[in-house]
Amino acid sequence: MELLREILDPEFLLRNSVHVSLLIGFVVPLFGIFLVMRRMVFLGVALPHISASGIALALSMHVWFGDYDAMHGANERVLALVGAIAFAGAALVILAVLERRSQGGTEGRIGAAYVIATATSILLLAKCPQAERGWLSLLKGEIIAVMDEDLWLGGCSFAVLTTLLLLFRKELLLVSYDRALAVVLGKRVAAWDVLLFALIGLSISISVFIVGPLITFGFMLMPPMTARLFARSMRQLAILASLTGGAGALAGFCAAYHWDLPIGPTHIVVLAGVYLLAVCGRTAFGMFRGPVASAS
Amino acid sequence: MSDEAVIKLSDLAIGYDRRALASGLGFELKRGAFTGLLGSNGSGKTTLIKTLLGIIPPVAGSFVARSPGGGKLRIGHVPQRESLDPVYLFSAFEVAQMGLYGEFGPLRRLNADAKERVAKALDHVGAAELAPRRFSELSGGQMQRVLIARALVCDPELLVLDEPTAGIDADAAKAVGELLAGLHKKAGISILMVNHELHWMRQLATDLVWLRDGKAVQGGVDELLSPERIEQMLQLQMS
Repeated sequence: MELLREILDPEFLLRNSVHVSLLIGFVVPLFGIFLVMRRMVFLGVALPHISASGIALALSMHVWFGDYDAMHGANERVLALVGAIAFAGAALVILAVLERRSQGGTEGRIGAAYVIATATSILLLAKCPQAERGWLSLLKGEIIAVMDEDLWLGGCSFAVLTTLLLLFRKELLLVSYDRALAVVLGKRVAAWDVLLFALIGLSISISVFIVGPLITFGFMLMPPMTARLFARSMRQLAILASLTGGAGALAGFCAAYHWDLPIGPTHIVVLAGVYLLAVCGRTAFGMFRGPVASAS
Repeated sequence: MSDEAVIKLSDLAIGYDRRALASGLGFELKRGAFTGLLGSNGSGKTTLIKTLLGIIPPVAGSFVARSPGGGKLRIGHVPQRESLDPVYLFSAFEVAQMGLYGEFGPLRRLNADAKERVAKALDHVGAAELAPRRFSELSGGQMQRVLIARALVCDPELLVLDEPTAGIDADAAKAVGELLAGLHKKAGISILMVNHELHWMRQLATDLVWLRDGKAVQGGVDELLSPERIEQMLQLQMS
């Protein structure tokens, strides 16, 4: 309890890390629900890494202009954010075009995009050790030094993105669940898909820019998977996923701070532990309850 | 297009990626008729339905779908239930209310009247008690009833069903058949139904369209389902 009070104290030295963890924990799972429901988990793995390669390109840009000793400053952070968004957006567009032009092989393309993005990032940063350290720290989910600007960027961006997601959830769920019905009812399915993937792409890009791909991917997928075990409706799924993510973020931060561990991996291990406990709890509950009466 | 038709096909070719599965299709779906769509696997039945619903574009030719009043034809679609992913946690009521999302655009929530219409549609098909249950946990016959309610909730002039009795037990199939017969006779809804089982076509349909060898043959039930004609059609399909 003392630890919790210390962490939540407004004067706590790492308060920005706590706040950004909670922000990502509560909000990102709401977008991840659509990846889980549409069975696009692979995309949830690949997209953060592709977005991170946009950051790698921005951080290494000076090397390609022959300036090996450049200092990394505020302008470069803006460029990194643009890179993260541009790469995630471009990847979504290219994958969507390939999906429309050819049948099958989606997993292969996403897997290839993931491995190419990671390898390219490493190569891009090979000639700039300072940027490489920063990027590797982002990759590992080291979020000790979160700037005020990043926290504001995350807070404002996610407020807008989440509002749009909630406002249009009826249409976004309809085109995800039954595209044929959406067409019959006169909905512009392609436009709604573009909106959904723009929301997912932007949420991933901004999250990767602030906390890196590991934490983004973890919170995008694990809380919805955990919540799916207990939820009885889509509304419950959203609420449970968000609460699981938020609670996991707080517990993860407490554990990382108490045992002096890297924050990102601790978040993921805590989320994994919660998921395993949920699976065991669900199995035990099923055994106690006995077989469910089959529908007639 | 005659006043008696809800849909008229003119030299329509259907298929995917510009490859035609069937071509030269030219027939009318008569208003008030129960049209059965027959054909072997891969003959293009579902593709024809998807084309008429606007889900995929025609490869060539055209079709006109017109409301008897002159406006856009209101169509209720009952898909193959396997096409709906059970991972979604929708209740039967929520699935049925999706039929009204055409009337309630973005930012508009369903009001009490709309929810009353959904409840009535579920009641009409004998699925009122299923409303709070999770859709993916229902039996095949129960799912089919809910999907028919979803199609009916928008007060359709044409009901399009893709194999509504496939994969469900005999009692449930009989109940679905009786429900469709009632909708056709009492409510006077035009129906287009894909079904493999000839006995359902004999019991329910007033007109038939048989897709074979990339072409369509249209005729009456007695005409197309006579033993000689069935033998002739099956031989043609096998040859």
